[in-house]
Amino acid sequence: MKNRLKHPLVFFVFIGIFLATGQRAFYAQNTKKHTVRLKMDYTKIMDSVSYLYIKAFSRVDRENIDVPNIDLTVYNEIDNETIELGSVKTNVSGECKFVLKNFNTITSDSSSNFNLQVKFNGNELYKKASKSISFRDASIETNLITKDSVNYVRAILKDSETDSVLSDQLVQVQVQRLFKPLKIGKEFNMTDENGTILVPVDSDIPGINGQLIIEVILADNDDYGTVKALVNAPIGTPIIEESTFDNRTMWSTRNKTPLFLLIFPNLLIFGIWGIIVYLLVNLFKISKS
Amino acid sequence: MIMKNYDVLLEKLAPRKFGKRGTIWVIFLSIIIVLGLIAYIDQVKKGQIVTNMRDYALWGIYISNFVFFVATSFVGSVTVAILRLTNNTWRTPLVRIAEIITFASIVMAGLTIMIDMGRPDRLLNLFIHARLQSPITWDVIIIPTTIALSFLLLYFPLLPDLAILKKFYKKTKPKLSKWYGKISLNWTGSERQKSIQEKSIKIIAVLIIPVSIMLQTIDAWLFSTTYRIGWDSTNMGAYFISGAFVAGLGALVTMVYVIRKVRGLDYYITEYHFDKLGKFLALACLTYLYFNINEYLIPIFTAPVEEDIHLNSLVFGEWAPIFWFAQIVGLLLPLVILLFRKGRHPKPMLFVGLMVVIGSWWKRYIIVIPTLLHPFLPIEGVPESWHHYFPSAHEWIITFATLAMALLIITLFVRYLPVVPIQRTADEKNTTGIKKNKES
Repeated sequence: MKNRLKHPLVFFVFIGIFLATGQRAFYAQNTKKHTVRLKMDYTKIMDSVSYLYIKAFSRVDRENIDVPNIDLTVYNEIDNETIELGSVKTNVSGECKFVLKNFNTITSDSSSNFNLQVKFNGNELYKKASKSISFRDASIETNLITKDSVNYVRAILKDSETDSVLSDQLVQVQVQRLFKPLKIGKEFNMTDENGTILVPVDSDIPGINGQLIIEVILADNDDYGTVKALVNAPIGTPIIEESTFDNRTMWSTRNKTPLFLLIFPNLLIFGIWGIIVYLLVNLFKISKS
Repeated sequence: MIMKNYDVLLEKLAPRKFGKRGTIWVIFLSIIIVLGLIAYIDQVKKGQIVTNMRDYALWGIYISNFVFFVATSFVGSVTVAILRLTNNTWRTPLVRIAEIITFASIVMAGLTIMIDMGRPDRLLNLFIHARLQSPITWDVIIIPTTIALSFLLLYFPLLPDLAILKKFYKKTKPKLSKWYGKISLNWTGSERQKSIQEKSIKIIAVLIIPVSIMLQTIDAWLFSTTYRIGWDSTNMGAYFISGAFVAGLGALVTMVYVIRKVRGLDYYITEYHFDKLGKFLALACLTYLYFNINEYLIPIFTAPVEEDIHLNSLVFGEWAPIFWFAQIVGLLLPLVILLFRKGRHPKPMLFVGLMVVIGSWWKRYIIVIPTLLHPFLPIEGVPESWHHYFPSAHEWIITFATLAMALLIITLFVRYLPVVPIQRTADEKNTTGIKKNKES
């Protein structure tokens, strides 16, 4: 106490800062709640999962800020009925993914549309919010064909409900790569009247053991969302492993020491130490003779 | 008459108690060693932060000191083995001193490496996890090998002398006599013992040459196998061998002078021996000069930018004082002095020996440290002090302690062992007498 009173100005400055920051926290309880905005995209991967990508953000002080750690509940709306499918929490970037492991868990309405709604019930900082998405189910059938020694990937786009082909739709075809997919085919691949596209695949695309994973995507469609089909195609150029990891090299581990380094130094070591042992035996012989 | 001469010889060459100066010398060395030990314990407790070695200068005075010890140990191979195989009889009064220096140096080289280890308790890992691709592993193998061989090089020729000392001290110092008896391995001088001993010494003399060359070469390869400016040189192995030739002989000349003076061995170690040693050292200096020219002159013509910066810092820059001290005081000046007959007299030889030893020590410093401070990528984002290196107090004290320990080992050997081989000198004095008679 004595020490503190020696410097009253410093003490009051500290107290002042403490109170000021405390008041701000106190006022936070009474500030106006912000509106959460939800963005939602539906993606279906053929023969695999479907998911909703959800992004939560808010406009605060004319800036978009991510809304992390809020609980969102996903519902399936069927005409007048609403079924809860599950809930999910946003990450630090305000993003989350709600996975529909089995597509059959959701039901379409009378007009064959699937309606999903995401709801946020609000908290002390943000108002409650909801967002709906409506889509039809589409499918992509793919297969590989070879014509005149040229490999093609063929895809047929269909509406699943009506089993009718979808013509004049923009479809992307690309090969999975480590950082960014490699687009192949024409700049715009449109489905023909049979809902089909035919895209040639160059034979010089490298892949592990010649395996390529080709993606055929109906991207961000207004009616169907995103539908993606993956094709495993053993038509790439096999990557030749140039790593010396398994070889006996000067830079490998000790169990992969080059043979010449195992043989000659060990011959020298055992040769010299053999002679040293012989000399020690000689010392023993001298002491005994 | 012969018998009387032998008694005089024995009286003169048998080990003697320390006098007042000897006792002060041992106490002085012991104090330095104790101080070094305290500094080392502190280093182990606090870690190598007590040194001035940092990310860039990660090898410092310990490694340069280690290289110096390794170089000095080459003297055993040079004087004992090479002079023996070339039948140079003038070596006789010098070989034991050379053997002692070799043993002390190589033992201290091994210890110095352990001092440089951040975690000495992990020493065994060097053996357990050894990779034969690593030059460090070659070093770990060659040093114990050289220690074993240099011990045998010292021990085998000692056996007859130890038996002589056993008899000599039988009445006056029975306890000491008993010890000499034990370590002389019941030497009686029988034909069988002599034959085994001679054969063994021959084997050691032949074997220690390649082993010493391997030791020096591995020491050089520790540097030249790393792709670093100043070390990345195919000249390095031969350069190190010739440098060791100089350092070892410099140490021998100095020790021979001191021991001769302290023990009053003028009759056995004469001006003739100094003259011979001087010529031998001059040859070593010339060889080393040749390799120095190869090492420093050729890169002036061919050096890429980085190497040029390094060379400039050595020749004209911050390292120039040490560089030129090592070159002039440690090599050129001794060479010039040794070319003159008067320069090969005992007293000038002492100064030559000291110059060579001190120059050789700083030469190793200049080989190890400047390269580490000249990496290919610029030194950035580190404190200013990391751009430079000068040993800390801990490093200096510990290094002086290792040098003191080497000197103490030599001193104790000189105290308890005959520094000039008794039996061989006695034999040779007889032989020389006969020869002289014949010649006359």
